[in-house]
Amino acid sequence: MRVVCDRAALLEAVNLVSGVVASRTPRPQLTCVRLDATSEDGVGTLVLSGTDAETSMRLAVDRVDVERAGEALVPADKLRQIIQAEDHESTLTLEADGDSCQVLGTDARFRVLGYPASDFPAIGDFKSAVKGSAESAPARAVFTHNAGDLSELIARTIFATARENSRYAINGVLLHKDGKKVEMVATDGKRLALARSALAAPGAGDGPVKCIVPTKALQHLQKLLGDDEEPVRLAVGENRITFAIGASEDGEDPRALLSSTLVEGAFPPYQDVIPKDQDKSITFDRDLLFSAVKRAALLTNEESRGVRLEFDSAGKKLRLSSRAPEMGEANVEIELKEYKGDGVEIGFNPGFITEALKVINQPEIVMELKDSMKPGLIRSGPDFTYVVMPVNLQ
Amino acid sequence: MHTPIPSLASIHWAVPPSTLQRPAIRVLPPLVADQIAAGEVVERPASVVKELLENALDAGATRIEVELAQGGIELIRITDDGAGIPPDELPLALAAHATSKLRDAEELARIGTLGFRGEALASITSVARVRIRSVAPGHEPSEIEGAGDQRSAVRPAAVARGTSIEVRTLFFNTPARRRFLRTPATEQTRCMEVVRDLALAHPAVALRALCDGRETLDLRAEQGPRARALAILGRELEDNLVEVHADEQHDARGVSLWGLVGTPAVARSNARAQRVFVNGRAVRDPSIQHALREAYRGLIEPGRYPTAVLMIDLPPDGVDVNVHPAKAEVRFRDQGMVHSLVLNTVREALRRADLTPTLAHRTGARPAIFGPGDGPTDTASDAQSFADYFRRDLPASTGGRFDYQAVRDALDRVLTMGSKVEPAGDASDERERPDPASPEAAPATPASQLEALPRRDHLQVHQSYVVAQDDDGVVIVDQHALHERAMFEALHARITAGPLESQSLLTPAVVDTSSERVTRLEELTPLLERLGIDAAALSPSTVGVRAFPTLLFSRGVDPIDFMSELLDRADADAFVPDSEEALREVLDMMACKAAVKAGDRLTDAEIGALLELRGSVERSTSCPHGRPTSVRLTLADLERLFERR
Repeated sequence: MRVVCDRAALLEAVNLVSGVVASRTPRPQLTCVRLDATSEDGVGTLVLSGTDAETSMRLAVDRVDVERAGEALVPADKLRQIIQAEDHESTLTLEADGDSCQVLGTDARFRVLGYPASDFPAIGDFKSAVKGSAESAPARAVFTHNAGDLSELIARTIFATARENSRYAINGVLLHKDGKKVEMVATDGKRLALARSALAAPGAGDGPVKCIVPTKALQHLQKLLGDDEEPVRLAVGENRITFAIGASEDGEDPRALLSSTLVEGAFPPYQDVIPKDQDKSITFDRDLLFSAVKRAALLTNEESRGVRLEFDSAGKKLRLSSRAPEMGEANVEIELKEYKGDGVEIGFNPGFITEALKVINQPEIVMELKDSMKPGLIRSGPDFTYVVMPVNLQ
Repeated sequence: MHTPIPSLASIHWAVPPSTLQRPAIRVLPPLVADQIAAGEVVERPASVVKELLENALDAGATRIEVELAQGGIELIRITDDGAGIPPDELPLALAAHATSKLRDAEELARIGTLGFRGEALASITSVARVRIRSVAPGHEPSEIEGAGDQRSAVRPAAVARGTSIEVRTLFFNTPARRRFLRTPATEQTRCMEVVRDLALAHPAVALRALCDGRETLDLRAEQGPRARALAILGRELEDNLVEVHADEQHDARGVSLWGLVGTPAVARSNARAQRVFVNGRAVRDPSIQHALREAYRGLIEPGRYPTAVLMIDLPPDGVDVNVHPAKAEVRFRDQGMVHSLVLNTVREALRRADLTPTLAHRTGARPAIFGPGDGPTDTASDAQSFADYFRRDLPASTGGRFDYQAVRDALDRVLTMGSKVEPAGDASDERERPDPASPEAAPATPASQLEALPRRDHLQVHQSYVVAQDDDGVVIVDQHALHERAMFEALHARITAGPLESQSLLTPAVVDTSSERVTRLEELTPLLERLGIDAAALSPSTVGVRAFPTLLFSRGVDPIDFMSELLDRADADAFVPDSEEALREVLDMMACKAAVKAGDRLTDAEIGALLELRGSVERSTSCPHGRPTSVRLTLADLERLFERR
């Protein structure tokens, strides 16, 4: 194998694939990136693959010139470090022979010892994900979404997933597809984010399908998504989900392929926790609320995290305050555009509010409340619903 | 089939009338009465030593010699240079309730002497062969002997000064008691404890002790309390003792306290190394022991006892010493005041002291790793063995053995670190792995790593310990223990101001537990509320957590794990939900879970903040379990290690 690559494009692809390779594993082959160079009718392609046995990625590298087809299996870390360090080069040449791979620059030559390419576990393509294979059943649902909407669904939910691994939290996002409707829901037990969008076509498969996609896989997916209009094909199987990015209608020749095992277990009955009897409704200018919460949060610390929100219905004002012992206190007052209902006082973790406001595109949001012990609700149009549990301030 | 029921009358008369004859009440013969009294006062040789020494001290002696043979079982001889006994009073000295120290009941209320009941010598004589030789100024030197109920006549004798009392073959006439004595070595140890106690309490008096002809103690006269205490405890222990005293704060009430208390490193597994003296009398007082334990709370592990010598002086009418036959217990008129005086004084002294254990302290004055010392000077002396007694059985967890190799390895790594560039991603764990796809988070280049190194004045080793330097040498901090201590103090301060802030949950976190534990939930509720935990029974065997402290959430503590552990602990019998102990136990649990763990990689800023906590947090030298948070290698230790001296 001999391929001349644009260094920047190669680095980007290697960085992306390195993200999925295993960092600690008894199988050193899993710490490697597989390189496949092919040439058909004078058009050369270099595809990088990586896997940690749970998440797998295949990615075509832009701007390559395949001089000789072939394959190699190279430790991802070393490959990435070399390409990164050769920052004065515009192109680099990859040359593989047997178990070793050389990276050639103008003034440097690296020979990295790897493994036979055949040692790398096979990564199934999109077709086998749809049709099923010896190991897996055919997909339960296959559909297409555009990269822009998919990316927004992810962005609007993934921030609400649990950051830590625990028995209590779910480290994944629920994907719920029913006909042409697709929903994503994430929660860490303290707040819940729900985003909706509509598909152009219902796709194949019988009835609604629900699965929990690992947070990590969605983070990788988001980085792979490029142009908003680029189609992304999804195949939801029994225990795997596969995304083909930039593929044709039948999933052939995608620019990138990502597949991941699904999170097992039941997602909490999220419809039940979305409150339906809120009796106070406040319309906010998104940026004003964001700035007020952010400023009021300046005097919080680990032990006093909450920000107090005091809604004055008569004066149409909101007072935000925080107080941290031995640190000080902050007070911010803003005018409200519209307030329906009685005054109320409630505490929130300010981060839970600002994180939601960041993923809202509309300039106006609506907050609905009931009392200081009951969940708060933030809405932005019909496509985004956010439930946040209060903090009991002392 | 009826069994005939016997009539009441027949039962009553079933016992033949003759057996109902009872022995007549008689006055006990004086010897038996004295022997019974002796049973309370004279338990073993040590009690004889105590009584006789107290007599000598009451007689105004400035120089006392104690001789023991066979641990005092065969011979106890106490010679003093005190006032002496005139010949005509010698027979009275051996009689019960004869004393020169007390004239009427009124004086009992303000006893200024050690002995007062006038029964000691009579009791001792009832169970041993006693000879008193004495000379009082202006009288002929004379002697008297007694054994059991026999008394000799008063005879002239050759005595230069004061009094010499010999007690031989203790319990010669009560073989049952003699059989209960321990080995001579054990009895000798107990006798010497008594001698040392009295020596501690009377630093002005010269004391010499001979055991089977060998000198085991030689204390010169006119020592101050500190010099005397160090002479007895061992001067090597000096660095591990903190002086406490409180005259001024309480002199209005006429109470003064002075003492030396041991650092946590010399805490022991029983309370015997606590020497408490009230008006010069060694006492065991549960409330003072409790005050000491409280003062050390959190500094030493539960189940270990601080070492302490405490001298409490208060006016004679402030304390009742006549509550225990051996006078080992006293009753204070204002117990609460004494308790808080001890607690506050010791706690304050500990707060001010630097309790960071050093290598030398942790392993004894001359640890084996330094090789043989300068040669024995007085290794055979009893003072040395008494000092050893303070040092013995250090807990396994805090060393006793200092892992020298581990420290040397750590230092090796400090020294070699600058030359080694670790491949990125290798050592960092998954969570902190730089995100490879974003250029900003790309692994640090070797150049930037090298730049960062020389400016550091601390280092994290094995992601568990922080090595730093201070004025005295090298300090090695257990990152988890120190952070846990800091969290504990912060939580404790925070919770006294009000309940912890809590985050409500969308749906309760469900804890599967037993029905017994669910029933205990109700009594836990007030405690849980203070902690910011809202929990309720969901079913007979499940508990739902509806709100949980924001602090614990932000530290990644799982509510289910936490709650099930809390319920486990609350199930223990000793757990009283509304007690301070329970609160501390749970806060301790919180602190432990919220603190950084061994294995957590810390940034430079985090290490800096952690080291700052050493100075700012009270009791920062020990974690809430009482284990040390840091150890110090002093420059002197290093010099010894490198054989510079």
